[in-house]
Amino acid sequence: METEANGESGSLVLIKQGAEARVFESTFAGRKCVVKERFSKKYRHPTLDAKLTLKRLYAEARCLTKARKVGVVTPVLYAVDTVSHSLTFEYVEGLSVKDHFLEFGSKRVGLENTDEFALQIGNTIGKLHDGGVVHGDLTTSNMLWRDGKLVLIDFGLSFVSTLPEDKAVDLYVLERALLSMHSSLGNVMEKVLAAYRKSSKQWCSTLNKLADGMILYYNTVLSFHCGLFF
Amino acid sequence: MKVYEISGTTISVALFTDVVNSKELLESMQAGTLEPEVALLNAKLIPDIFPVLAAAHKTLVAKSRDSLTTRTLHSELVYNYSGSKHISESLKRCGISDTTTYVLVARFSASDDEMIAMKTLIKGNEVDLDELDGRADKNQIQKHYKITKPELDVSTYGDAITCRIAARDAL
Repeated sequence: METEANGESGSLVLIKQGAEARVFESTFAGRKCVVKERFSKKYRHPTLDAKLTLKRLYAEARCLTKARKVGVVTPVLYAVDTVSHSLTFEYVEGLSVKDHFLEFGSKRVGLENTDEFALQIGNTIGKLHDGGVVHGDLTTSNMLWRDGKLVLIDFGLSFVSTLPEDKAVDLYVLERALLSMHSSLGNVMEKVLAAYRKSSKQWCSTLNKLADGMILYYNTVLSFHCGLFF
Repeated sequence: MKVYEISGTTISVALFTDVVNSKELLESMQAGTLEPEVALLNAKLIPDIFPVLAAAHKTLVAKSRDSLTTRTLHSELVYNYSGSKHISESLKRCGISDTTTYVLVARFSASDDEMIAMKTLIKGNEVDLDELDGRADKNQIQKHYKITKPELDVSTYGDAITCRIAARDAL
């Protein structure tokens, strides 16, 4: 008879604090893990708050599982706790795509690697959208890079939808994020969309909506500026 | 036999092949006379010990809150391993039947005497837990947990099952 001491949790180390949740590092059944705990919002009515928190907790677990089913790499979900409103995930070793991009931008090295990143980002989003899942918060900090593979995280704002509008908004969010954070890398979005077009079967209607949205956006910006000048 | 530590308590696990007394085990379990009380799992659905530990964690959390869904702590482990909300169906699929010969036996916070008793309870051949992967029925796992082909390209069977166990109540 052998005993395997698998040092169990107890210790929670805060690694990030966001507007919706706190993220801790811990261990789960002998594996390193991440605990994401949604906290209650004191400014909301308690009944509404409890309902929203639970609903979002469930939605996140559901969308993550759904994303896995269509072949998107996500962290493994270890546990869902409805009392402490927390999710326990596998700890993904590796930097975020944002960190990698910032390094490419500042040191001007490894720029040729952006192509591989863009390719995988496009492929992943294509798979996700064809599976009917909209991520809702596509930024480079919600993408991790583990051993040359993209891992998508944070499905906290995800929902299930087949509408091209919703998917286009998803891409639009990413485009803005890329423009504001990583403009020095050149047009990464173009490469992302090229990969997206190849991996998504429904790319046409989505990209049409994206284009419509852009026109709308530029018109708004234009009329805003015109309003200022005249 | 292997002992794992989970949320402050332990779970002792052993794997048996060529079990000949499944029928008796099942009968005494249903009569509630199994001594010591153990969980008997259909090991064909277990490609790795980790999902069992995830189910055990879930069971212990439910126990600490007095919110067990099934009658005993050990039946709860079998139910939790299934990833389905249908209790009797879960116990049937993930538990043992009259004819099961390949069994994983588990008990929470077992004493040394109880571990010896667990071993004598089951009439079969004890094998190492490393054999789980090779002996698992992958087709049955895929069907039961509804694991898709694209998912298997990016995930192991064990991880896919763990996700189902964790997300069950949310689905």
